[in-house]
Amino acid sequence: MIWTVIKREIKRMLTRPLYIFCMVLAPAFAYIFFTSLMSNGLPVDLPAGVVDEDNSTVTRQLIRNLDAFQQTKIVAQYHNFAEAREAMQQGKIYSIYYIPKGTTKLALASKQPTISFYTSASYIVPASLEYRDMKMMSELASGAIARSTLYAKGYTEDQAMAMLQPIKMEMHAINNPLINYSIYLSNTMLPGILMLLIFQLTIYSIYSELKEETSKEWLALTGNNIYKALIGKLLPQLVIWILMGLFCLVWLYGYWGFPLHSGFLPMFGLMVLFIIVSQAFGVFLCGAVPSLRWALSLATLWGVLSFPICGFSFPQMAFPAALRGLSYLFPLRYYYLIYVDQALNGLPFEYSWLYYVCLAAFLALPFLVIGRLKKFLLEYHYQI
Amino acid sequence: MKWLLNILDVWRHELVRSLTDIGSLVFFIIVPLLYPLLYAYLYGNETVKEVPTVVVDDSHTNLSREFLRKADASSDIKIIGHCANLKEAEELIHRHEAYCLVYIPAEFQKNIVEGKQAVVELYSDMSGLLYYKAVLSACTEVSLEMNQDIKTERLIGATKEQAETFAYPIKYEYVPMFNTQSGFATFLIPAVLMLIIQQTMLLGIGMLQGDERERRRKGFIDEHLQGKRPLEIMLGKATSYMNIYIVVAAYLVCIIPPLFGLIHIWQWKDMIAFMIPFLSSCIFFCMFISAFSYDRESFIVLFVFMSVPLLFISGISWPASAIPAVWKTISQAFPSTFGINGFVRLSEMGALLKDLRPEFVGLWIQTIVYFFLTWGAYRRMYKRQ
Repeated sequence: MIWTVIKREIKRMLTRPLYIFCMVLAPAFAYIFFTSLMSNGLPVDLPAGVVDEDNSTVTRQLIRNLDAFQQTKIVAQYHNFAEAREAMQQGKIYSIYYIPKGTTKLALASKQPTISFYTSASYIVPASLEYRDMKMMSELASGAIARSTLYAKGYTEDQAMAMLQPIKMEMHAINNPLINYSIYLSNTMLPGILMLLIFQLTIYSIYSELKEETSKEWLALTGNNIYKALIGKLLPQLVIWILMGLFCLVWLYGYWGFPLHSGFLPMFGLMVLFIIVSQAFGVFLCGAVPSLRWALSLATLWGVLSFPICGFSFPQMAFPAALRGLSYLFPLRYYYLIYVDQALNGLPFEYSWLYYVCLAAFLALPFLVIGRLKKFLLEYHYQI
Repeated sequence: MKWLLNILDVWRHELVRSLTDIGSLVFFIIVPLLYPLLYAYLYGNETVKEVPTVVVDDSHTNLSREFLRKADASSDIKIIGHCANLKEAEELIHRHEAYCLVYIPAEFQKNIVEGKQAVVELYSDMSGLLYYKAVLSACTEVSLEMNQDIKTERLIGATKEQAETFAYPIKYEYVPMFNTQSGFATFLIPAVLMLIIQQTMLLGIGMLQGDERERRRKGFIDEHLQGKRPLEIMLGKATSYMNIYIVVAAYLVCIIPPLFGLIHIWQWKDMIAFMIPFLSSCIFFCMFISAFSYDRESFIVLFVFMSVPLLFISGISWPASAIPAVWKTISQAFPSTFGINGFVRLSEMGALLKDLRPEFVGLWIQTIVYFFLTWGAYRRMYKRQ
């Protein structure tokens, strides 16, 4: 009977620390870890260094203003560029703002001195944020002097701005106006980690029966009906996974208040489908390779590769063509695409239906290998 | 000399076992061999180019067309179509045919001619951050260029240089260092290489140790471990892992970066001096954790997912200065944190060993601490040998 399998599986879940770790502790840790790490949305007070060879009241004010920017914090002033570069190589600062000697004097004499700033994009996030602050600061520094000249000539503020910057860019980041990195990363990363754990635990729970030589006993409970045996085993796990999926959604959209323009239901539906697909994928890997460690190794490959290949950080359009195609074989790709349409952009269902269908198509995978899997479970002997 | 022979005996057995057990072979050799190739291939383009962009030009003037022509010419974005209104353009973005929108309002040219400030509005789909960067940088570049010409015209009688000096009494220049095109491969691959060393080692050693435990439970006796002291067993095993990972590390450090055109400006002397404590700390760290491995496979389930948090906590993906103190403290228990930072600066930023003092010292401290922890664990594990 299916009920006996369910009861048997619940007992296994409760008595084995690996299950509890993998199903509850690990996902909860990942949720809390990533969101607390990026709790500011954007990192603030990133260390930067200054080389102020001019050291005038004007340049000192400029440095104070730069320090006042939210992302940049001037942690040190260096005597020369070489010293600052060394500090950068030591990992103390991500960027250098360099003001050469005579800057103030040349500026007052309309001889257009040049200040420069340097970033090290080996650390790409802080480098791009400090770049933004330093560029803005440099624009303002120039602008302040130029504006006061224009005001002296009787220009109004609007006229002065138009004179200095005839064409101005106004940037709108759709649905993530503050460019919150956590919104951009956590929304895909947390379900991705959950998926990886589901792959692995599903495989472990099925093939540990083989290893412990209990697989025949397990199948016998359902009269060797592999479907009932699998459902009985995976159903109690599914309940826990759905609870953890729900925790993920409540955590992201409830506690952290990330954009949820679709309403809760489409995302909850997506999460449930995604979890079942992940289980199905685990079953598929079991049937594809008749060994616990090989199936786990494949799950590791697929699971870890999901993160770069689903395209949430480095866009898919920039992949080589072969990998662009390959990305459609990863369930996380569809989760990400549907999340963007639904929660982030709040589009009607019709825009995403194809992704839902593709994601659901993964459910067919276990059927391809179910016969093999049954054979393995009944006949194969675990070998060290 | 008995002890040396004992160590050599364990070393020989462990080395043969590591390279003939198909499970550990996967983690020790195959994953480190193939994974970096896959990653480097994936990120090979470094950055996104020609992001599909739609435009809505309500101005329909020479200046607006000039602006769009120049924006299209940039390598960052590619204009794939003109839409009659914002709604149509939005639809293209929703259908993922375009990712950015450049909107030029009707009064664009009129404002410029009348000496008012003209605005160009840019919209970016936020499913990826690189789209945002692409459209902003392309259009900012164009606006700076056009502003230059407009200002020269307005300051009647002024030369281009005079106009510029007037608008920019202080000029500025931006110099990107090391990873000059803000490339993804250059930024992420070195970190991934170091993480691969630690993680594959953990899975491989965990598997071997679990295997040994399983065999013992089933009554097998590992002859080569009999009559040896825990310290001898530990050093024998550690040496065999070191042998394997010297080859692996040499491949990851010397072959992968040049193969994919990544920066590799390290000096032999410094790199070797850095990799010795990194590999040692990884080995003892992994041996210590593996002392808690009771079967072949559970380490895969327990530790694979940790790779992603470890990458973030190292300070590469997310800046170290913004990592909360508690996570930062925890991160110092992992060799990968110091290994990644040290390697990135050594390999890409031209740092010398003396610039890596905190990482270098950290790795040696980890080596010593994990050495003694492993020893303690081995004394418990092998007390009856």
